[in-house]
Amino acid sequence: MISPRAVVDVRSLHVRFGEVEAVAGVDLTAYAGQATALLGRNGAGKSTTMRVLAGVVPPTAGSAMVAGFDVRTRTLEVKRAVGYCPDVGGLVPRATPWEHLQLSARLRRLSSWEDRARDLLERFELGDVAHRVTTGFSHGMGRRLSVCLAALHEPQVLLLDEPFDGVDPIGVEATFDVINDARSRGACVLVSTHLRELAVEACSSVLVLRGGAQVAATTAGEMAGEEGARAYRSLLD
Amino acid sequence: MPTAASSTEQQLQEVRRSVRDVGHLIAFRTHTVRRPRSFATITAVFVGLTVAAAGVPAFVDGAGVPRGYALDAVVVLPSALAGFLLLAIASAIASGGGRELLHREHAVVFPVSPTTDHLGALLLAPLNVAWLLQAWILLGLTSYGVGRAHLLTAEIGAVIWIAAATAVGQVVAWTVEAVRRTTHGIAIVRGLGLALAAGAVVLQLSNHFGDLLDSLQTSWLVVGYVDGITWRWAATIAVEIGVLVVGVVLGAVPAHLAARRAPRDEVGVETGHHPARRLPRSPFAALVRTDRGSVWRAVPMRRGVAVLAFGPGVVALAGDLDWPQMTILPGLVASGGALLFGVNAWCLDARGGLWRESLPVNAATVFAARAWVLTEFLLAASLVTMVLAGLRAGLPSAAELTALLCTWLVVVLQVVASAMHWSQRRPFSVDLRSARATPAPPLVMVGYSTKLAVTTTVTGLVFSGLARVPFVEVSILVAAPFVVWSLIRLLHARDSWTDPVQRARVVTTVAG
Repeated sequence: MISPRAVVDVRSLHVRFGEVEAVAGVDLTAYAGQATALLGRNGAGKSTTMRVLAGVVPPTAGSAMVAGFDVRTRTLEVKRAVGYCPDVGGLVPRATPWEHLQLSARLRRLSSWEDRARDLLERFELGDVAHRVTTGFSHGMGRRLSVCLAALHEPQVLLLDEPFDGVDPIGVEATFDVINDARSRGACVLVSTHLRELAVEACSSVLVLRGGAQVAATTAGEMAGEEGARAYRSLLD
Repeated sequence: MPTAASSTEQQLQEVRRSVRDVGHLIAFRTHTVRRPRSFATITAVFVGLTVAAAGVPAFVDGAGVPRGYALDAVVVLPSALAGFLLLAIASAIASGGGRELLHREHAVVFPVSPTTDHLGALLLAPLNVAWLLQAWILLGLTSYGVGRAHLLTAEIGAVIWIAAATAVGQVVAWTVEAVRRTTHGIAIVRGLGLALAAGAVVLQLSNHFGDLLDSLQTSWLVVGYVDGITWRWAATIAVEIGVLVVGVVLGAVPAHLAARRAPRDEVGVETGHHPARRLPRSPFAALVRTDRGSVWRAVPMRRGVAVLAFGPGVVALAGDLDWPQMTILPGLVASGGALLFGVNAWCLDARGGLWRESLPVNAATVFAARAWVLTEFLLAASLVTMVLAGLRAGLPSAAELTALLCTWLVVVLQVVASAMHWSQRRPFSVDLRSARATPAPPLVMVGYSTKLAVTTTVTGLVFSGLARVPFVEVSILVAAPFVVWSLIRLLHARDSWTDPVQRARVVTTVAG
C-alpha cells in the first residue's frame, strides 16, 4: 500500500503578536486525499495556524511547508495552491458574490470557471443573491459564500476555518460535499472548528490544540461518540 | 391614592438615565484610547490653542479700539456668528446626525437611547477641524474686537453662542435625517438641498447674501458682548443659554424619530442588485474594480464626496473667486475626500481583507490599485469643485491655469501619500456602512485633518502667489520637488505594505 503524500508539513510553528504568543510550537502533518480537523477551544491557535498556512500571516519561528512551498519565502505559490475560508467574515462588504468569484478567477487565471461558480452558488443556495452586495448577508450566508470562494479553483489544499459556524443543515451538507469532493480528487483538507461532532463526521484525523500548542493527534474515530466527547473534554482542560 | 410614577416622572427618569449613560460612554471611550499619553498631549494642545485664540488677540496692539482693524473685527462679528451657525448645520447634516459616541455595531448590545446618541453627537461635534477653525476664528475676532477691558464677558457670550449654534445644528440635522428616512425622504432632502444651494447662489449673485445674514439678528448678540457686565449683557447671555437649552432638549425629539426609522439609503445599497459585468482584463483592473465598488457603494463616501465636491464649488462660485484664489480649493477638497476613507484605506476590505490577502497577487499591485482608486476619487471631487468655481472667473491666463493644475496634482499626491502612509501605520477596524461612520476614531481624525489642512493650505498659498507670476515654467519648476517628495513617501508606504509582517498586522487589524 502506498502511503499518502504529506502536503502540509508544519514543524515547531510559533506566531507572536507583540506580547501575545498565539501559536506556541505546533507540529502538523496533513496528507493528500485526507481531511484533518483542528480542534480546540477559542484562542487555542487554530485560526492563526490556518492563517499561516494560507500565507496571510507569516510565522515568527518554525517552518511551514504547503504543497511543497515554504510559506515564508514562496508565499505566492502557496496562495495559488490554497483555497482559504477565513474564520471571520471573509467577504468584501460592498462586493457581490459574483464579483468575489470574478476577482478570484482573474487573480488565479482561471478559465471556464463560470459553470462551476454557478454550481457552487446553487449548491449553497446563494444563486438568488449572486448579484447583491454581501454587507446585508446573514452570518450563515457569509460562511457559505466563503466556502464557495475557497473551493472555486479546486485547490490542492483546502483550508476551512469554522465553516460550520452559524450555518444551517443544508449549508453543512453542502460543505461536507465540498470536503468529500476535494478528498476524492486528492486534495488535502484542513478543517478548523470547535464543533467536535461535525469535525469527526467530515474528517479522518484530528489534531487538538490547547494554549497555542498541539496536545493530541488521533483518528476521527477515537474522537467520535460519548467516549470521544469525554476524551476531547479531558484534552481541553 | 395612585402610587405609580406619572409619565412625566418616567420621562424625567429616562432623561436622567440617558445623561448618565453619556458619562459612562465617555469614560469607556477615554479608557480605551490606544495611546493615553498622546491623547492627553493632544487634548492639552487643543485646549491651549483655544485659550490662546480667545486671549492673545486682545493683547495685540490696536485691539479693542473703536477704529481700524479692531472696529472691522466687531463689524464682521455678526456675520461670523451667523456663518458659524450655518457651518454647524451643514456639518451635522453631512454626517447624518453627527458622530457616534459608540459605533452602531458595538452599541446594539447595549440599551443606548437616541437621547444618549444625540447628546454624544453634540459632545463630539468639536472633534472636527472645520468646527475648530471656525470656533477659533470667532473667539479670536471677539478678543481682538473687544480688547482687554471686556474680554471675559464677551468671550463668555461667544463660547455660549458656539455651543448654542452647535445644538441648533444638531436639531436641524436630526430633523433632516428623520425626513430622509421617510418613504420619499431621500428625494425630498436632495430636492431641498439643491433648492437651498441654488437660492444661496442667487442671493449672492444679486448681492443679497449679506442681507440674509443681517436678518439673522446676530448683531443684537454682538451689541450685548461689547460693554462688559450690564443688563444688556445679561439679557444676551440669557437668550443664548435659552437657545442652547432648547436646542439640546429639542434635538432629542427628531433623534428619536430618526432612530425609529430605517436608514433608507443604507438599506438601498445593501439590497440593491449589481448585474454581472465582463471579467476585468488584468489583475490590476480586477483589483481596481473591487476597490471602486467598495468606495462608490458606501453611503458615507457618496454623501461626503457630493458635499465636498459641490459645497466649496458653490461657495466659490457665489464668492466670485479669481483664478489665483482658486488654488486653495483642490487641497481643501482632497483633504476632505481622504478623510472619508483614505486615511484608513485598507478598512474598505473590512473582514474580507483576510480572504483577499489569501489571493495570489503581488502585494505591490494591491497597493497600486488602492492608491489609484483613492487618487481618482480625490481628482474627480476636486475637478468638480474647480469647474464650478471657474464658471464665473472668465478665461485664465496660461500662468494661472498652470499654477492651478500644478496645485491640483501636488496636493492630491500629498494627500494620497499621507493617507497611504497613515493607513499602513495606524489601521482601524471600522464598518463604513453608516452615513455617520468615520474611518478612524474622532480624535485621530482631528489630528489627520489638521495635518492635511495645514499642508495643503500652505501649498495652495504658494501656488496662489505663483499664479500671479507671468511665467508658466515657474509653477512647474516649483511643483517638481513637491511631486518627487510625495512620490518618495508613497514608495515608502508601498515598501511597508509589501513587508509580510507589516501587511499581516494591517489585514488582521482591519478584519477585526
